Amino acid sequence: MRTYKTDVIDMSVIANRLDGIVREMENTLLRAGRSAVLNMARDFSCSIITGDNRLLATAEGLPVHVIGGERLGEAMTRRHPDLREGDAFLHNDPYAGNTHAADHTLMVPVFVDGVHMFTTLAKAHQADIGNSAPTTYMPFAKDVYEEGALVFTAIKVQRDFTDIDDIITMCRSRIRVPNQWYGDYLAMVGAARIGERGLKALCAKYGLEVIKDYIEDWFDYSEVLMKDTISRMEPGVASGFGVHDPVGDLAPDGLTINVSIEVKPDEGRIVIDLRDNIDCIDGGMNESETCSINNSMTGVLNCLDASVPRNAGSFRCIEVMIRDNCIVGRPQFPHSTSVATTNVGERLVMTTQRIIAERWPGQGMAEGSNGLGPGFAVISGQDTRGGNNATFVNQLFIGSQGGPGGPGYDGWVTFGNSVTNGLMLRDSVEVDEQKYPILIRQMRVRTDSGGVGQWRGAPGIVCEYGPVVDQMTAHYVTDGNVNPPRGVAGGGDAAPSEPYVLREGGAEVSAPLIGSVTLARGEMVGHRLSGGGGYGNPHDRPAESVRTDVLAGFVSLASARNDYGVVFTSDRIDASLEVDVAATAALRGE
Amino acid sequence: MYRISVDTGGTFTDVVVKDANSQIYMSKALTTRDRAYLAIEQGLIDIAATIGVEVTDLIRQSVQINYGTTRSTNMVVTARTAKTALLVTNGFPDILLLREGGKPDPFRRMHFRPPLVPRHLTFEIDERMLADGSVHIPLNEDSVRAAARACASAGVEAVGISLLWSIANPAHERRVAEILSDQLPDIPVTLSHEVNPSIREYRRASSTAIDASLKPAMQKFFGDLQSDLDEAGFTGSLLISTSYGGGWSADRIAAKPVYSIGSGPSLAPVAAVREVDSDVPGGAAGNTVLVTDMGGTTFDLSVIQAGRIERTNETWLGGKWIGDITGTRSVDIESIGAGGGSIIRIDSGGLMQVGPQSAGSEPGPVCYGRGGTEPTITDAALVLGYLDSSNFLGGRLELKKADAEAAIAELATRLGMTTEAAAIAAMRISVDNIVTAIREKTVSKGIDTREIVLVAGGGASGINVGMVAAELGARTVILPKSAGAMSAYGAAHSDVLSEFDIVTFQTTGSPDFQLINDAFAQVHRQGQEFLDSIDPATISSTGIEFYLHARYPMQAWELTVSLGSYDDARAITATDIENRFHEEHQRVFGVFEEGEHVEILGYGARATARLAGNDERNIFIDQPAESDAEGVRPTYFRETGWVDARLVSAQRMRELGEVTGPAIVREDTTTLVVYPGHRLEILDSGNYQLHIGADGSSH
Repeated sequence: MRTYKTDVIDMSVIANRLDGIVREMENTLLRAGRSAVLNMARDFSCSIITGDNRLLATAEGLPVHVIGGERLGEAMTRRHPDLREGDAFLHNDPYAGNTHAADHTLMVPVFVDGVHMFTTLAKAHQADIGNSAPTTYMPFAKDVYEEGALVFTAIKVQRDFTDIDDIITMCRSRIRVPNQWYGDYLAMVGAARIGERGLKALCAKYGLEVIKDYIEDWFDYSEVLMKDTISRMEPGVASGFGVHDPVGDLAPDGLTINVSIEVKPDEGRIVIDLRDNIDCIDGGMNESETCSINNSMTGVLNCLDASVPRNAGSFRCIEVMIRDNCIVGRPQFPHSTSVATTNVGERLVMTTQRIIAERWPGQGMAEGSNGLGPGFAVISGQDTRGGNNATFVNQLFIGSQGGPGGPGYDGWVTFGNSVTNGLMLRDSVEVDEQKYPILIRQMRVRTDSGGVGQWRGAPGIVCEYGPVVDQMTAHYVTDGNVNPPRGVAGGGDAAPSEPYVLREGGAEVSAPLIGSVTLARGEMVGHRLSGGGGYGNPHDRPAESVRTDVLAGFVSLASARNDYGVVFTSDRIDASLEVDVAATAALRGE
Repeated sequence: MYRISVDTGGTFTDVVVKDANSQIYMSKALTTRDRAYLAIEQGLIDIAATIGVEVTDLIRQSVQINYGTTRSTNMVVTARTAKTALLVTNGFPDILLLREGGKPDPFRRMHFRPPLVPRHLTFEIDERMLADGSVHIPLNEDSVRAAARACASAGVEAVGISLLWSIANPAHERRVAEILSDQLPDIPVTLSHEVNPSIREYRRASSTAIDASLKPAMQKFFGDLQSDLDEAGFTGSLLISTSYGGGWSADRIAAKPVYSIGSGPSLAPVAAVREVDSDVPGGAAGNTVLVTDMGGTTFDLSVIQAGRIERTNETWLGGKWIGDITGTRSVDIESIGAGGGSIIRIDSGGLMQVGPQSAGSEPGPVCYGRGGTEPTITDAALVLGYLDSSNFLGGRLELKKADAEAAIAELATRLGMTTEAAAIAAMRISVDNIVTAIREKTVSKGIDTREIVLVAGGGASGINVGMVAAELGARTVILPKSAGAMSAYGAAHSDVLSEFDIVTFQTTGSPDFQLINDAFAQVHRQGQEFLDSIDPATISSTGIEFYLHARYPMQAWELTVSLGSYDDARAITATDIENRFHEEHQRVFGVFEEGEHVEILGYGARATARLAGNDERNIFIDQPAESDAEGVRPTYFRETGWVDARLVSAQRMRELGEVTGPAIVREDTTTLVVYPGHRLEILDSGNYQLHIGADGSSH
């Protein structure tokens, strides 16, 4: 058994305490945040990196946010060799380590006895960042200039614990609904400072030397656990591809993403190679460097033991090979990465975990649902209720997409999408209708939208909403329509993700997969969201589980018979529904 | 004249009796599941014998019984509630399935929990209200009748009705209920705007479904209890403890049984307020109090600030986000998997982990000798000499120390340490899990743990409270004499209490801001009616306090701002409200936004009646001890290694006044470990105070 410098009990204790500090930061951001993206959807993450920029603690943060925090720290320490206590930095530069411009990150360097020991990070998706259109996702932006966001490369925004007003003024004059942004900014400052307070108390208690030893030991320990997990896999190489749906004229045939995975159990390492992919395109679909890495790593982590701590130590075991000017690599300035956190990023996650499932039986997962269609649109307009006239811009989270099936588990129902893995929260219908001049008409499980399988994909829902007073615009970026999430190991594909518009009177017309719709009062935008792919042969699913699925509205009677080979004694969907055991066995050929 | 108070837990029923001279008697009996009264009677038999009266006389002479029970919580958690249907607005049949999203860990694979009410018992009603209370789609009564017919043929036993925006206009919910009462006259019904008048459809629907599903069983349960007590000759008033830590009449709780969830544990903080008032300068009002309650499986914690027990609207059964929310207001009790039964393991990286898995009572710790093979905290405490093998649970269960030692020794070998060191390590990790949970809770409220008063209750607290307190640096540590029956003891002293809320929407930014008279008057009237319904002979004083829920524009989560008394509230200005809100925001989140207006989402009134005789000092009557002799026992501490610890009985403690560690104090219902350098002092109230300063004298 391995030995550590740190008392092993102290090690558990300090690790616990660090995650506790991260959770305190997160709680602050959730409760104090001003935009719905933060305070309802929880589209934010907090983390702690070391003074020398290694990811130390993430608690249960969004994978797409927290992996790669070290590159943000690097930008800060590189630009500011004269860091000092009381400073805080605003960073959202996707060419310098950030995910995409919409994720503002607030960094506070934490000093103990004059030493820069840690940096606390609070990263939050903003409702608006001053883009050329009222949305934080710009798939067709030719470059970063057309995208239009204010870009901050580790810009000092506080000195001596006090705002530098010039920076605040820049944001206030250039970001829509500036009070909303400022409220979120304050919540991020609060979170980072609460983290700072907790870390100082921790160092005061244990002493700097113990904490320094702990950091190295904790990384080593995490690496041991990760190596142990990987060493139990079969050695091998596998490659495959996933295809993002067509992106207008930019990519009329879709975007193919190639992933190659090599598992080296004797070294305890996994290597992902993304270099065999197309160059950056002239649109916002490119991955940032951080998103290329963290999304393919998420695909791997989805397949490994979840109890391994996620930090710079365990991540030594996963290498992602990327190249310059590649759609899934290091973006070449000024190519836009506006949509880096989702769409192509999700394809990286889905494809990686599916390839693992294909090549390594009993491991991996089917593809999860993906894209941010109308159920997750950024809506904007004027709120003229009660004689007021206020601008609103915010992202809705009323959709629900299904998670993928994997060995032993059905998909997670409120999965969200493939980069958030179920962590994000959903809006309340009543709160949304109170805050915005909209009406939500329905939100119900979409039958047969999850891929069939021994472990089935979870279903998506159908949702519809529209403006109640004046017109409203919804920006969104659907994926999974032409190429819905795929099943694996005999499991079925999920239903495609389908945006649509309802004219006044109820006639359904088509809506773009990617873009925006402007709706008049009485019109609605709708979204049939996809589920996750299924895993394993559906005939191996217990008939009683299929009955439960039928009663829940997840699976139709027709699919139960045709896909699962389950026959019922009647077609009444109520408690009297009973499996016809003999007919089921016959149909299944048992 | 007596007051009886009872807490029915999953295993034990705790009974506390207080007589006219404020003498307190405590006992425990095994819970009787279907007829709560049988266990109460058992407990009363012990106490009656100590007092020297007949049980029937004890009951006849009792003016009041306070009753708490975890029964409804357990029914929901184990899915043993009535077959329940839910009626919802057309278009939204999956509210209970989808919840509010969220998952505790992105990578941990988990099974998605089915909804409280299955989809095939969820019926959509054609209707729609809007946020401003206007009717968007009129009620289609045929859709209600069709649902009623389907309920009847499915054999539904209870129905919840939760329509969108019923809080803005309840007309549709009321009409649906009328139709149901025609069609399904014997089926209990719950209306969402009545049971939980608050915004957020998932929370309201969840409250409604839970409430309806509890009605058949809990109405019978409380009815049986009342009639058993009547039969025994009880003529006083029966008060049931609610989730928010006060008493309600049995009729009232039977009408809204969701408020009986957490009914037992919610009273521990009430007991703590009393102890702090009697034992600590400044009382509960002048201190921040942390209340802990550690049993076999869980460690519960709650916070009292400025004399006010913290409450929450987010109580989840079965896990945050993934379980089912009660949605109703309750004492804010955080529960973590840390108790005497927490299992000790070593992971593949060579680190020790403790809990959250628990050996429970079946098979239990290794030392119970009932088939448990994985060592637990109880085993570690036994190995270290903190527990007796012979007087555990009053001697009813002999602990097998050799087996516990063997199990811990096996772990120790793998870690390359001694058995004692491994046992100490397990204690420390368990303590750290507790301390981390406490820190998360307190930091998010802006509380510095060095300033708190810690009140530690629960049967298993005594073994580690010294370590917990030292880690936190807590200034004052109180170990109540009532620790083993803290909730029942709390119930004996709880106020009769209810809150009345109304949803509104206004902003302090509007030029002609003032409190909305009608809304304010409504909660005031409801509070007054509640107080008027209480038997005046049992109470000493009453009061109504007002508060409001507010947020900055576009925030989603509210903070509660106190308005004070009726006169204070009437006089309040927009600026006052803003200033109080800024202050609260700064305290909780470390930032505030100067010059920003606040939005007010609702008003509330908290009506409180204080029980007569509540302010007297209590005198605890111990059961007669077998022996007062002191002894010593070899005990292992991290700082000292093996040393002889003094063994002191409760009676002997009273003579000594204080004892310096290492020492073990044996109470009737618990064991207190006094660590080396710590000093345990007995207070005038009968409670203990633990001093953790380096020399045992400071703090």
